[in-house]
Amino acid sequence: MPNLFPRWTNRLPIKVVTAAVVLGALVSAAVAYFFTPKYTQVGYQPDQPVPFQHDLHVKQLGMDCRYCHSNVEVSAASNIPTAQTCMNCHSQIQKNNPKLAQLRKAWETGEPLPWVKIHYVPDYAYFNHSVHVNRGVSCVSCHGNVDKMEVVYKDQPQSMGWCLDCHRDPAKHVRPTEEVFNLDWKPSGDNPVKAQRELGSQLVKQWKIHPPENCSGCHR
Amino acid sequence: MKRTFQHPAEPKTGKKYWRSVEELADTPKFREWLSREFPAGAAELEMDGLSRRSFVQLMGASLALAGLGFSGCRRPEIHFAALSKSVEWSIPGKALYYTSAMPTRTGAVPLVVTTYDGRPTKIEGNPLHPASNGATTLHAQASILDLYNPDRSKIFLENGKESDRQKFDAYLAGLLPKLAASAGAGLAFLADVNNSPTRERLKQEILKKYPQAKWAVHDPTGSLQAEAVATAFGPGVTLTPQIEKADVIVALDSDFLGLDSESTGYTRQFAARRKPPKEGGSSMNRLYVVENRYTLTGGMADHRLRLKASQIPALTVKLAQAVANLTGNNFAVTLAEIPLPVDQQWIDECAADLVSAKGKSLIFVGPRQPVATQILGFAINSFLGNIGQTITGFTQAVSQQIPLPELVKAIQQKAVSTLFILESNPVYTAPVDLKFDDSMKSVTDVVHLGLRKDETALVSKWHVPGTHYLESWSDALGPDGTYVPVQPMIQPLFGGLSANDVLAAVAGLKIPQGAEVVKETFAKVKETAGSTADWSSFLRNGYLENSAPSPAALTFSGPLAAAVSPPAEGVEVVFPPDYKIQDGSYIDNGWLQELPDPITKLTWDNAALMSRKMADKLGIGRPTHSDEQHLESEMIKITVEGRSLEVPAMVAPGHADDSITLPLGYGHAEGATGKIGRGSGFNAYQLVASAASYFAVATVEKTGKTYQLAITQEHNQMEGRAVVREATLEHFEEKPEFAKTMFMDSHSPPNISLYKNPDYTSPERKSPEQWGMVIDLNSCVGCNACVIACQAENNIPIVGKEQVINNREMHWLRIDRYFASAEDEHNETEPEMVMQPLGCQQCENAPCETVCPVNATVHSDDGLNVMVYNRCIGTRYCANNCPFKVRRFNFFNYNERPLEKMKIGPLPESSGLYFGPLTKKGTEDLIKMQKNPNVTVRIRGVMEKCTYCIQRIEEGRIQSRVKAGASDNLKIPTDSIQSACQQACAAEAITFGDLKDPDSRVAKLQDNPRRYRLLEYLNVQTRTSYLARLRNPNPKMPGAGKVADIYPDEHAEGHDSKDQHQGEGTHH
Repeated sequence: MPNLFPRWTNRLPIKVVTAAVVLGALVSAAVAYFFTPKYTQVGYQPDQPVPFQHDLHVKQLGMDCRYCHSNVEVSAASNIPTAQTCMNCHSQIQKNNPKLAQLRKAWETGEPLPWVKIHYVPDYAYFNHSVHVNRGVSCVSCHGNVDKMEVVYKDQPQSMGWCLDCHRDPAKHVRPTEEVFNLDWKPSGDNPVKAQRELGSQLVKQWKIHPPENCSGCHR
Repeated sequence: MKRTFQHPAEPKTGKKYWRSVEELADTPKFREWLSREFPAGAAELEMDGLSRRSFVQLMGASLALAGLGFSGCRRPEIHFAALSKSVEWSIPGKALYYTSAMPTRTGAVPLVVTTYDGRPTKIEGNPLHPASNGATTLHAQASILDLYNPDRSKIFLENGKESDRQKFDAYLAGLLPKLAASAGAGLAFLADVNNSPTRERLKQEILKKYPQAKWAVHDPTGSLQAEAVATAFGPGVTLTPQIEKADVIVALDSDFLGLDSESTGYTRQFAARRKPPKEGGSSMNRLYVVENRYTLTGGMADHRLRLKASQIPALTVKLAQAVANLTGNNFAVTLAEIPLPVDQQWIDECAADLVSAKGKSLIFVGPRQPVATQILGFAINSFLGNIGQTITGFTQAVSQQIPLPELVKAIQQKAVSTLFILESNPVYTAPVDLKFDDSMKSVTDVVHLGLRKDETALVSKWHVPGTHYLESWSDALGPDGTYVPVQPMIQPLFGGLSANDVLAAVAGLKIPQGAEVVKETFAKVKETAGSTADWSSFLRNGYLENSAPSPAALTFSGPLAAAVSPPAEGVEVVFPPDYKIQDGSYIDNGWLQELPDPITKLTWDNAALMSRKMADKLGIGRPTHSDEQHLESEMIKITVEGRSLEVPAMVAPGHADDSITLPLGYGHAEGATGKIGRGSGFNAYQLVASAASYFAVATVEKTGKTYQLAITQEHNQMEGRAVVREATLEHFEEKPEFAKTMFMDSHSPPNISLYKNPDYTSPERKSPEQWGMVIDLNSCVGCNACVIACQAENNIPIVGKEQVINNREMHWLRIDRYFASAEDEHNETEPEMVMQPLGCQQCENAPCETVCPVNATVHSDDGLNVMVYNRCIGTRYCANNCPFKVRRFNFFNYNERPLEKMKIGPLPESSGLYFGPLTKKGTEDLIKMQKNPNVTVRIRGVMEKCTYCIQRIEEGRIQSRVKAGASDNLKIPTDSIQSACQQACAAEAITFGDLKDPDSRVAKLQDNPRRYRLLEYLNVQTRTSYLARLRNPNPKMPGAGKVADIYPDEHAEGHDSKDQHQGEGTHH
């Protein structure tokens, strides 16, 4: 009886096992990288050209988000303040502080300050701040408690899946519009999660909130 | 049981619609060419001499080198560059709109310009202006690209060498005292036609200071209209034809819907009168056209007569005679008995129709026809009592100026020593017999100001980089004489000077800063107009209210006995400006270069157009598909008075025999264009003499050479499937629903589908809006403004001539031009022409969606067929399955790689696209500045298509939500969202809106009897629908029976059974 299997098949099992091991390792590596905050860069906290402290300005001095990010309610982009905005106060307060040297230089020369971008929307996707803040989504939902950060870092993954989580179930995040810029606001009740769910569902129904789940909602 | 659908065969009888002479001839080679997705060879790498293997080696090597640094593995640090000082009004991420106007020769186009972060990105019409419906012309849309032309003139040149502003100022400072000392003797100006009051004011200042200075004006398009109007009605008169009031219009070699109207008004008024009476219009107008070649106006004609341009003066006399006989006017002009190949009945019936619409008719004579002929045209109008009725006008102060030949004479008599040439290119455009370039050498100081470093710039002593109209302050008069601002929204990008700046400097004024020079004019105009508007409301509205001059009482006093030039014997050659690049000033505009000519569908070149009979006479065969299956056209040599030019010949259906049309504007000198215009076309100005600037007698011969033309007319054929539908007004009134029952739609079986058709109207759908579009073929004249508007709005790249030949043009919206001829004469002599704008039809049952393996094209809740670029992997299945062929594939990085031909190392010369990574990557910063920030700039390997301007829809939706805030009032205001093509359309042929909103215009049009959808029998359920075209022939005219002789919809009667016809469904 002739050999049914040719000689090269002797090594086939070991090849299959090796391939499976390699593949498994690759899959684990990919999951470990792409499915974790490392990929979405949660916690990304670069050094900024001027060590601006959000906690100092918001918590201690009581400034509103919209003093600096003044166009967040009307524009797609929530603007980074111009040097002029900073100089409104810092031409009088802390005007010789060496930490603000870069800022003063920018103000005098007109050269923009190279703020490092932390949150950014990938290519092909478009995000609009105004529609979110006007319909009851607070800054804190996407940016975390910036009011408590000494140096701003990325708090949420801001991946597409994360966006869709809320677009499919906005009740988790919608709050009364007057509380949008109050990052410490919590719905009243013993169980904040349950209270938010109740209030959120009510507002979603009342305001007819149907966030787009179509591709064209964000991709143009 | 599978149902395979067979497309119906073309009807054997009746009318045939075709797009090119090759299609009409139906050669086997053409069939083969057509059946390929792309022409043969296009799918392969075309680099002769370079094998695929060596190319791959090269690519591999460069890839390996690029990968060494692993630079791609780390996310780069990205910076914000927030401004140092806050800018008034500017909100990052939000558009800011400015009113302005584009100056043209016959009256400015009022505009609203969209800017983002200080960059103008898109141009729209100004809907507030009384003579505008918010639409724009083709050139207004495209002009923004000239602002960002990377090859525009950027530096001062002194004798061709780099110089700067300081040196020029010093030169002027030295020159002016000399001029003042001689009271301006020897000083001359040469400018293009321009009606800016500020320029006029500065000119008067100059003439006051230098009384002996000369001011010459040169119109390179060869228009003699101003002269004719001045002779017939007195100096300073501008005519404003009231097309809306005219029931019968006759256009004698006048392209008043295309070339001869630089504003949108004529098209808007004409289209308003094409609505059938049932749809709320008054009666439908009737248009007679006589012309030597098909023009846009000819395409809209109810009766069209092809006639040599040189015979039109004779025809005008005959028509005048016929009208005068009927109206009892005295008409004494006699014509030597010249055989005119025109049926006398045509003239008589046309005249009778005109007389029946006395006071409500209108005669247009082409502005390039001899002055005497144009005056005859006014005479006919006056016989008909149209003056004061359909022809009104206003009077302006007459400005002292001399024509170009007089200036040249002065130069030759050494009477000019200093010449300022403002925004004109006479070295290229002046008639050859004037020998302008030779004469210019005797002028010691020539200062040229222009946007481009053109032929004149190269030989002038000084070249001053000009400013674009979006960069510098000026003003203008609109087509109705209203005072409009030309407002800049960006600083001059390269620090150039405007014509006003130079004039102010010469006048001894300080070079104006900002708007002050215009403000001064404004104050005067305001005073004259008795207006109380202040400067800011003037800028806000984009025009000065009540500044339109009051209508003048026109009295026709033209000399009627004027000699009429006899018809040219033999072959004539006609020189109109080009539809796209006009007189040649748009030669470096990539959008216009790549735009298919509205009639010939030719891109990147011009060609000698002629009839089939003429071509046969010259021995020119049909263009052949060469080995690469690309069309090779034969070259001919045209000789006019000893000057000759070799150009490719192109057979143009509907062209007059013994006549050749050669558009002007192409074939610029080497070095006088940027990358885009280099080597494009052939210079017809070489044949133009001042005595015969429009038509000339020529001898023509075949040269035996060939030339490759990039023509898009054969791309994306429809193969006669009742795509355009038309009928006569009479037929429509008898049978209003004719379009619904034409051809297949009369007897297709009800569509059966295994799956439920998606019901987008069901209340469960989340989206409260359902988008749709209706395109009225009756209004569309085919001006192509929508195509460029789409290109500007959606960041659509240009691909270059080579790629157009390979069918890779990227236009999301195209205009299909069909010729139609009756069955018994499937010939190319006298077809009718129909235009059809075609973008994605947004099928509800989209065939593209079912074949995409990665779900990159899907349906949204609001009924759009959306394209998700970041999912697309470029299989192109969708494009193959699209019955409308409206999907476009980005084969190369058209946005990032050079399109021009180049040579790298030992590799053969080829388009930069084929060298891939060996070329510089990246878009020029200037080009980037034009891009719409709300639309992705797509990369290579991605499919793209029309999305009904999804960015505008989303913006509208977002604004409604922002406004709603903490409430549930989510309604988007009715008809508040406009697609880019709709906004640009002067004829209002495109209507876009929410089908679910009963008040929207698009919803109301759904019940229009003329409405039909394309390829309904495929059950694709398109969201875009069309309104069938109507023609309004005069039954008494010869050949009236053939006009819009419709499809054999007789099928509708007596053929209810489903099995008799081929092409329905065959069951297997």
